[in-house]
Amino acid sequence: MAGEEYSQRTGDEGAVRAAPLPPGWDTAVDIDKPPATVPDPAEVQVPEALREQIETIMARYPDRHSAALPAMRAAQEAHGWCSPLAIDQVASVMQVTPAYLSSVATFYDMLRTQPTGPRYVYVCTSVACHLRNAKAVYDAIAEEARDQDLEGVEVREFECLGACDMAPMASVDGRYVGPLDDSDAHELVAAIREGRIILPGRGLEDADYRLPWDPDAETAQSAGPEATGSELHRKTQPQEPEPPHPDVSPPGGTVKDRPEEEPEGQ
Amino acid sequence: MSAAETRVLLANIDEPGLQTLDVYERLGGYKSLRKALFDMAPEEVLTELEESGLRGRGGAGFSMGKKASFIPKGAMDKFLCCNADESEPGTFKDRLLMQKNPHQLIEGCIIGSIAAGANKGFIFIRGEYSHQADILEKAVAETYAKGYLGAGILGSEHDFDLVVHRGEGAYICGEESALLDALEGKRGNPRLKPPFPANQGLYQGPTLINNVETLCNAPGIIEKGANWFKGLGIDKSTGTKIVSVSGNVQKPGNYEIELGMPVREIIFGLGGGPPAGHEVKCFFPGGSSAPVLTSDSLDLPYTFEAMAEAGSMLGSGAIIVVDDSVPIVSIALRLAEFYRHESCGKCVPCREGTNWTVKTLERIDSGEATPMDLEIMSQVQENILGNCLCVLGDSMAMPIGSMIKHFREEFEQHIEEARAAADLEGMPALGAGELASAQGAGAA
Amino acid sequence: MTRPDVREITFEIDGREVLAPEGQMLVDAAKHGDVEIPYFCYEPKLGQPVGACRMCLVEIEGIPKLQTSCSTPVKDGMVVNTTSERVKAAQNAVVEFLLINHPLDCPVCDKGGECPLQDISFGWGAGRSRFIEPKRHFKKPLELSPLIAIDRERCILCYRCVRFSQEIAEDYQLVFLERGDHTFVGTHDGRPYVAPFSGNILELCPVGALTSTSYRFRARPWDIEASGGLCTLCPSQCNVNFTVRDDKVVRVNCRDNHDVDDGWLCDKGRFAYQSIHARERITRPLVRDGGALREASWERALDEAAAALKKAGPDAAALVGGGTTNEEGFLVQHLVRKGLKSPHVDSRAGGFIHGEQARALARTDIAASVPDIEWAGAVLVIETELVDEAPILDLRVRKGARRHGTQVVTLSSRPSTLDPNAAAALRFAPGSAEAALGALASALGSPRAGLETAELAARAGLTPGFRPGHPVTGGEGPAAGSAERPVPSEDDRHSSGEVAGGDVAGALEAAAAVLRDASGVVVIWGERVAHGARGEQAVDALLAVAGALGLQGAAGSGMIEVPTTANGRGLREAGCLPNLGPGLKDASENGRGAGEIGRALGDGELSSLLLVGADPLRDYPERGVWEAAMDGASSVIAFADFRTDSLDEHATVVFPAESYAEKEGTLTHPDGRLQRVRQAIAHPGDTRAGWWVLSELCERVGAGLALTGAPAAFEQAAKTVPFWGGITYEELAGKGARWQERGASSSVPPAELPEGELEEPPTPGDGLRLGTVPSLWSGPETENAPALRFLAPRQRAELSAGDARRFGVSAGDEVDVSVDGQSVRAVAAVRASVPAGSIFLISGTAADNATALTNGVPRTVEVSRA
Repeated sequence: MAGEEYSQRTGDEGAVRAAPLPPGWDTAVDIDKPPATVPDPAEVQVPEALREQIETIMARYPDRHSAALPAMRAAQEAHGWCSPLAIDQVASVMQVTPAYLSSVATFYDMLRTQPTGPRYVYVCTSVACHLRNAKAVYDAIAEEARDQDLEGVEVREFECLGACDMAPMASVDGRYVGPLDDSDAHELVAAIREGRIILPGRGLEDADYRLPWDPDAETAQSAGPEATGSELHRKTQPQEPEPPHPDVSPPGGTVKDRPEEEPEGQ
Repeated sequence: MSAAETRVLLANIDEPGLQTLDVYERLGGYKSLRKALFDMAPEEVLTELEESGLRGRGGAGFSMGKKASFIPKGAMDKFLCCNADESEPGTFKDRLLMQKNPHQLIEGCIIGSIAAGANKGFIFIRGEYSHQADILEKAVAETYAKGYLGAGILGSEHDFDLVVHRGEGAYICGEESALLDALEGKRGNPRLKPPFPANQGLYQGPTLINNVETLCNAPGIIEKGANWFKGLGIDKSTGTKIVSVSGNVQKPGNYEIELGMPVREIIFGLGGGPPAGHEVKCFFPGGSSAPVLTSDSLDLPYTFEAMAEAGSMLGSGAIIVVDDSVPIVSIALRLAEFYRHESCGKCVPCREGTNWTVKTLERIDSGEATPMDLEIMSQVQENILGNCLCVLGDSMAMPIGSMIKHFREEFEQHIEEARAAADLEGMPALGAGELASAQGAGAA
Repeated sequence: MTRPDVREITFEIDGREVLAPEGQMLVDAAKHGDVEIPYFCYEPKLGQPVGACRMCLVEIEGIPKLQTSCSTPVKDGMVVNTTSERVKAAQNAVVEFLLINHPLDCPVCDKGGECPLQDISFGWGAGRSRFIEPKRHFKKPLELSPLIAIDRERCILCYRCVRFSQEIAEDYQLVFLERGDHTFVGTHDGRPYVAPFSGNILELCPVGALTSTSYRFRARPWDIEASGGLCTLCPSQCNVNFTVRDDKVVRVNCRDNHDVDDGWLCDKGRFAYQSIHARERITRPLVRDGGALREASWERALDEAAAALKKAGPDAAALVGGGTTNEEGFLVQHLVRKGLKSPHVDSRAGGFIHGEQARALARTDIAASVPDIEWAGAVLVIETELVDEAPILDLRVRKGARRHGTQVVTLSSRPSTLDPNAAAALRFAPGSAEAALGALASALGSPRAGLETAELAARAGLTPGFRPGHPVTGGEGPAAGSAERPVPSEDDRHSSGEVAGGDVAGALEAAAAVLRDASGVVVIWGERVAHGARGEQAVDALLAVAGALGLQGAAGSGMIEVPTTANGRGLREAGCLPNLGPGLKDASENGRGAGEIGRALGDGELSSLLLVGADPLRDYPERGVWEAAMDGASSVIAFADFRTDSLDEHATVVFPAESYAEKEGTLTHPDGRLQRVRQAIAHPGDTRAGWWVLSELCERVGAGLALTGAPAAFEQAAKTVPFWGGITYEELAGKGARWQERGASSSVPPAELPEGELEEPPTPGDGLRLGTVPSLWSGPETENAPALRFLAPRQRAELSAGDARRFGVSAGDEVDVSVDGQSVRAVAAVRASVPAGSIFLISGTAADNATALTNGVPRTVEVSRA
């Protein structure tokens, strides 16, 4: 919804742009608020773990500013997104202005300046995946996410994730899975909701991972060698919908455990 | 048709536990480093790399040794950056190298640091590769423990620290100067050149920046010598290259070949060719930034030179195959959207040009365009070319331009059919006559 | 870093051979051949070019691709073409790209008529657009701050404003947000861009994206006239351009003078012009009549004032300050000394400077110029917060540090905004400048320091300053931003963010090392060093530091004093000191200093007070004393632009004071540059020239000088100030002239740097030491300029986390800061950088003025929740 509104407002129709309206885009500042100067360490409370994490990161570089990205990543994992509070905390430890960090955070796709996370599903719809019908996969996953009211998960199209060999594919919190097919959408979303491993055996990091057309690949995999790009292109019949998955965990119930599971950062 | 890989970088890629230092060492790992440290002078290491003719595997194809030789001598802080921000659509070779054989890269980095006289190094890996980054970080830790990294490596004079630095999702950070800004904690905007990184790079210090695959070649060259490397490949395109084959082929994947293998063998012999009943319509020979070539070019040898002569480039060595089932407009649009999304916004022609192109293509696809728009769009590509701060603008203008060049008829047909289908009021079909007025068109 | 000397080279542009300074950017070099190259993002004042707009592409022989002329230094023999088809095509393309998202709303745009985008589109564009897609749309205009509106549709993302915020002012509040064609200029989390220099982005913006809320829709370029003038609101004395419409100032822009302001203005200088036209302003003489001040004729006002002064005679005293010109200062001391035979005249808020000291400080061989600051190897900033007391000098120090590697050392009681840029920072207890300077002198190996360095450091309560992102001791430690920080105790730091404290000896040595190794040291010191009971000793210690640094005669080295009033230096040179007459010559009779004048008036020893641009109740220490003084004085004659309660109650005669846009005369910049303030608009109401009023008074007390005009007044003054000799009034009209660089400078009375051992500074007591610091915004201009009113500071008490805990207050609390039954209400602000044992209040505020608690000696205060 916000996405469409945004598209119209900005004259942008690109799918990857269908993001919520960036904060500040169309709003005046609040002139009654004080300016955002470098936060005084004496006035900002920072979680001890986060402070230590950021200070360790800063020590790694000749110039503390280099810590901006990893520090924001750490804050995002602690807060779920780069909230104004998270940014203030990083700014206080790094002794930079919050604006400096906002500017950096809004530049990078993986830093969230809207509370859309903390988990994510990036579906690659870039050229190579596009040739193998990635759009259909994304649509299926997005629809499933709606049907199963998936919460606390940022589901979005993403530009090339560097896994065109397993196209079409998606990254679930950094776990690369593929090749996907729109019939995988239901299980993928259900697994996220229930905190299960996403598509076991089909993750790039899985020990026994093989591409379907790899000679020594196990046969039992969704997309066989024959089901290549243009086949998918022409695929018109939607898959037989699987029986709905019994809901065993409350929506977003798995979200709490994210920080521990989160493979990224540190 | 069958074709054979020549596995050098990928030689042991399926060896269980290759990620660990023990296995890597058992297979001869870090021998080259000892050789470079103790049996060779830094200058010799540099010469060996230069001799080998190894060219950058990231896209530009510039001689790695020459690049290193530009680094000024002297006491100042020098840096080595490994560009592991593999983001060029169609490219996924570095991911494999880092995930399966991290120590080969680390050894390459250390050898590179000897050649460049750098004491601090960074592997800038795209944030999406979190799994690979974790593997690298483990490997780096192991390496420190064994004394291959840190102060006085293996008791030698050479100090080298290596940090794995994660990006956060921005294609432009693959551009070396943007990578430096990102590494300095800024927005990843490309810098004006000159000064070039070799003179004024990271933290204003001389900096050697190389792609993952490039650095992975260093240990081999030091161990077996420049001549061995020159023996692989042909004339100016020496060594092996990992080619990422993707798109409409039956067996997408990474294939390591000797440069010079005919493109047809790569696409059909290794990649399995397009699905049954389909033909190659066109292909990107070097990532999505490379102008597309048609099936006429299938028999060219896969070399830097041949691809350039054909009006394209070998780039990152990523071949994206498009078969005859795919409308060219859909590829053009997807591509333009990609570059618009990834444009950093710093310079005008790229920021506005990518945006303009996307909007025009959308109208072409939705039937709201006329042949005149096609004309304007191709002129917009011309206006972007060569006028931008970095290569990103060109990276859209070149392939889109090449598509218009090779498939103008299909574009025009698409426009007419889409308009007919859309059947919008007040849009009379335009004859060729109006095309002439394309230049002067539009609301002023 | 030393100034580079440039040699001329020849290059060819568009077929012409042209001479240009080597290394100059092509875009500038082209001008030498009368070739104009269009650009948007290029602005040398902002530092390194960014090459973002691509408007300045040119063809250079031997280089295949077009090059940005803003980033290409010109070389000997270079062949450049700016008119080839390729270049034209590129220019057309860039203009077309720029305009696709730029609304064509010139007719309703404030920038229209003075808009680079407009001009360049006409001059270098194809004159058409083929873009028919939807443009980028934003709501417009939006507030960016109370002073600035932003129209994002018009923004061409040229980087100028954000670079200013990030690399010049270094407030880093204004940034680019988002990416690609979604990039937009903004702030963090919808906060306003409020910073001392924010207004400069209005002048930098090459389109109508940033407009001033106070100038929006006030005038079109063809409605206005520009008049060069001088801002006299602070000692920086920036050169300004008044935008005048219908005899009213409607805008103030900078008038670039590299030797003074480098082309920047602070927001006070930019927006305070509104106070010139404030309704409340006094524009007619006022005379006490039936107990109240009433408007009166000039004749009556002059007669009554003259009568009152004559009556007091030797018991009259004068205080001079603010933007009072050299001529007015000269006339005041002439009126008092020659006319009334009274020696009591002062232009300083407190303390006493010995004649020898004053002359030593005026030595031409230890005088630094403003440009020296940016090229010095090191700059030592002593007890002055430049951003509040001389804002433009703050920018100059930052420029040196950023672009020329100048090492900054701060030595002050209150944490300095320059600390993050500093190579070393030292804090001392408020009021202990004397001991602190002694300690530094000793650390620099001065033979004059009597006591041990450590002892002096202890008496100064010296601690290492907290430099954000730097290790506490040593110079540039390896890990800028490492976790290492000055910490009294772990838990303290983590629970409260307290970070002051640490290794004093190390920090002192680090500072000394930086200064010792630097080639060229510029010392910027605040007049406040010399205030208070031991001001004279503090100046002696300062001179010891100067001696130890060997400033005399060293190239690029020297001192600059930041006076507490705009023309502090000029007034002293004109003779407005109790012990010094015009030209720093010893006065025939030593008079009382400001503080004593106040007491004497209270005790009835003096009877009449003449106030010229001075408001002792607001700006001088010991507010209590001055309240008594005003009560005690039998007559008070004042030059004032606004009425105050105290004037209403006590003034006998009030003369309307001129504003700096109406004045004629000269001021002396802290670095000795004589500059002219010129009349841009007519006098409002019945206001008359200050020099005229004073000379009329002189006539009436029998000391007439028969002056015919402002130039004559200057000539009179110059006669008695020998080192101003040879400088003509006319030549000062443009960029002024430093008297040190003129022949007559040799006639400054000789004085040696003292050599004797320094006095022992007193040992400080315990308890919470009060420091008072002026704020850029605490003056009456802020209150009388509607645009600036929101900046008028609320009194706040800055203290360390430890002390806050000790007194049981926390950030944001209403607190009473009190001593001797006197107390001031303030809001508590807990600062990690404030050393334990120090607390700071703002002086010069309209309400809750810190001067209620000061008395010239270090004061120990109590803090309690209100």
